[in-house]
Amino acid sequence: MASVSDFNSPHNITWCPGCGDFGILVALKGAFAKLGLSPHNVVVVSGIGCGGKIPHFIRTYGFEGIHGRALPAATGIHLANHELTVVAIGGDGDGCGIGLGHFMHAMRRNLDITYIIQDNEIYGLTVGQASPTTKKGVITKSTPHGTPEDPINPPLVALAAGATFVARGFSGDIPHLTDLIAKGIAHRGVAFIDVFQPCVTWRKDLPYELYQKKIYKLEEVGHDPSDWQAAVKRAIETERWPIGIFYQVQKPIYTDQIPFIKDKPLVKHDISNIDISKYLEEFM
Amino acid sequence: MPMSQVNKVNCKIGGPAGSGVATMGALFAKCLQQCGLYVVGTNDYPSLIKGGHNTYKIRAAPFPITAIVGQYDLLLALDKLTVQLHASELSEGGAIIYDSNKIKDAAAIAARSDIHLVGMPLTQMAAAAGGEIMFNSVALGAAMGLMQMDFDIIRTMMQKIWARKGQKVVDANIAAALAGHQASKSALQQQFKVKIEFIKRPKTVFMNGNEASVAGAIKAGCKFVAEYPMSPSSSILHLMAGHEWDYGIIVKQTEDEIAAANMICGAAFAGVRAMTATSGGGFSLMVEALGLMGISETPCVIFESQRCGPSTGLPTYTEQADLQFVLHASQGEFPRVVIAPGDPLECFVEAINAFNIAEMVQTPVIVLLDKFLSETSLTLENLQSIPVKIIRGKLQSDEEMQKASSFKRYQFTPDGISPRCIPGQQNGLHVCSSYEHDETGYTSEAPDMRVAMINKRAKKLEAIPQELIAPSFHGAGENEADVLAVCWGSTKMPMLEALKLLAEEGKKVRAMHIRYASPFPSKAVAGALSSFKKSIIFEGNSEAQMRSLIFEKTGHFIQKAYLRYDGRPFKPEEIASAIKREFYG
Repeated sequence: MASVSDFNSPHNITWCPGCGDFGILVALKGAFAKLGLSPHNVVVVSGIGCGGKIPHFIRTYGFEGIHGRALPAATGIHLANHELTVVAIGGDGDGCGIGLGHFMHAMRRNLDITYIIQDNEIYGLTVGQASPTTKKGVITKSTPHGTPEDPINPPLVALAAGATFVARGFSGDIPHLTDLIAKGIAHRGVAFIDVFQPCVTWRKDLPYELYQKKIYKLEEVGHDPSDWQAAVKRAIETERWPIGIFYQVQKPIYTDQIPFIKDKPLVKHDISNIDISKYLEEFM
Repeated sequence: MPMSQVNKVNCKIGGPAGSGVATMGALFAKCLQQCGLYVVGTNDYPSLIKGGHNTYKIRAAPFPITAIVGQYDLLLALDKLTVQLHASELSEGGAIIYDSNKIKDAAAIAARSDIHLVGMPLTQMAAAAGGEIMFNSVALGAAMGLMQMDFDIIRTMMQKIWARKGQKVVDANIAAALAGHQASKSALQQQFKVKIEFIKRPKTVFMNGNEASVAGAIKAGCKFVAEYPMSPSSSILHLMAGHEWDYGIIVKQTEDEIAAANMICGAAFAGVRAMTATSGGGFSLMVEALGLMGISETPCVIFESQRCGPSTGLPTYTEQADLQFVLHASQGEFPRVVIAPGDPLECFVEAINAFNIAEMVQTPVIVLLDKFLSETSLTLENLQSIPVKIIRGKLQSDEEMQKASSFKRYQFTPDGISPRCIPGQQNGLHVCSSYEHDETGYTSEAPDMRVAMINKRAKKLEAIPQELIAPSFHGAGENEADVLAVCWGSTKMPMLEALKLLAEEGKKVRAMHIRYASPFPSKAVAGALSSFKKSIIFEGNSEAQMRSLIFEKTGHFIQKAYLRYDGRPFKPEEIASAIKREFYG
């Protein structure tokens, strides 16, 4: 069985020292090991951005696609071979800006994949513009007079779109995040995890300490994750920031509806000599 | 009285959208094909659901044909407008079938003394058979009766096509058609000039470009289709979805074309043959993913059925104006294959080639159709006898990967094509990346690696055999012809008929049809052009885009270009007269 070190990539990590992505990376590897997954049966799919580099920093199959499109690519990979473990991951700009449409559609499809948003409320790699999750009034390079809009609330979007597992973690609490990611992957259906992730370079006003002060754990306050309305109430809290599982429900997954992949995934189907006579018959 | 005409007929059906023009047209065409004839069927309609004016045009002959030539012998007018617009297109001795209760002044509107006005109370007859809506079935029965076609043919065909609608619907339509068939016997004083006689021939299929493309894609082992609806490509989505369970193909209607292109890229990376289909507008949205397929060397197939652009343009009309767009779409440089089949048979063959080439050279393949080709049906013979090989290129088997050590997904090789493995296989971990990368797939911005990777990818197209991409030649032989007429894509269909018209007049014209725009068959095209003093190109765009490509690739500039960009396909007569005007003055 694979251990955490089996998921270590040989490459140098190019994130800023102290970046919240490190915590997410460690938790992701820990979750894979905890679930006993083999690196060759896992695909980590990302878009573009600081966090988008993560497939290179973890030893699994990877797909670093284009900005905002991690989820469609992950969907294609999953449907081609639903025996793989597919984890899509991307920043708040990737998932809530350019890729928001795909985010909602992937949630409503209840594909058996996991989607993690590295949510640092800023565009990092493009050197510090407001993101869709940047709170109103925050001054960034692109909003010198303060962000004029209210932010997107990723867990609320996931709940609205019909996700069957909605959670939030904190990159500064690796054991808790590891457990959340493992539960998300183990969840039969789509799992969404928003991860608070400090950007130490562009959001010095959002340091680890602030997160530590504001957050609390849902599992410690008796939250019932089967209660969708309670989940929504928790998701819209602003004074304190809940982490843990907001909502989890079991529903049939997308691939349950596809009878011909019950026995073997699509990729294992023989294509060497397909008989098209039935199709042609319609045109005779 | 005009000479009787056996087994050759041109028909037009006209009516408002929603009156079953296309359904009846296809049914009529299939009935003619059942008689052992070769048939062409094509439609024309505006972008709306109800109303407007739709037509379906049919030509049948006892020999292979590719386009409609000449006047119409029979007009099925499902409304008054059809009589107004098309009566003048009828040949001498032709006939109009119309509803005599609804169009009282047909003679005045048609203003032709040399044609038959076959008025029948179509709607009333349909009502008697079970419902007014079947007035088109009455008209169809009458048309077939006029041509002395055996009623069993239409009975069998209605049974087959509408079985899924329930026996009640089938029986009612058969009754309606029978009423028309019987009434037609007393409709004319003398025999109608066209007679269809049954010829016994092996079974053929009647398919348009989209239907044949789907046949090819299924045969090629396409297992994943992601598509967002867009005319004129949507029927590909419908056909694939309709056969999803029969052939084990996952068909995903996506939230947009961006998702479709990225999904097929993911599915292809994971090892299945994957495709999408769209038109120019949707392709515009796919362009960023096209670059991803290129740099990550992921084999994907995109069917792009052109319609009039830019933007919404003329959504239901045809054009060949996306050639330079699909050749150059995306930032940066990477190899791509662009195939423009010329008729439904080539759609079938090239769809299979597209999937093979995509995996052979690990790059995106675009199959460029257009509305005219997507929705023009021809009789196709012996599709099943075409030899098909599934070529998966350097895709590694599980056994090979079990033995692999230090596997490099983007390994430099003499032909630029690297071994490819898929997730789930051992010893092959790598990142399929939109970033420039080294041989392992890891991001690299080193200048020498960048150059090496650009060169590696560019080299790959050389692996495609020249004989596969060669243009096809038609008409007069190379040594006897006076003129070389060049065309590409769907213009092949009217061109082949134009060659027949020219040959009948003793004009020796040779046609060159270019199918592959990339890789371009430079040598073959240059060779053909250099052996002709007189040449002309026919294209469905205003900028002569293929002429530019030929000039770019061969240095030959074709002086004369006949361009059509009014949304309508070329007519054979128009091509023939353009050639005569230019060269036989």
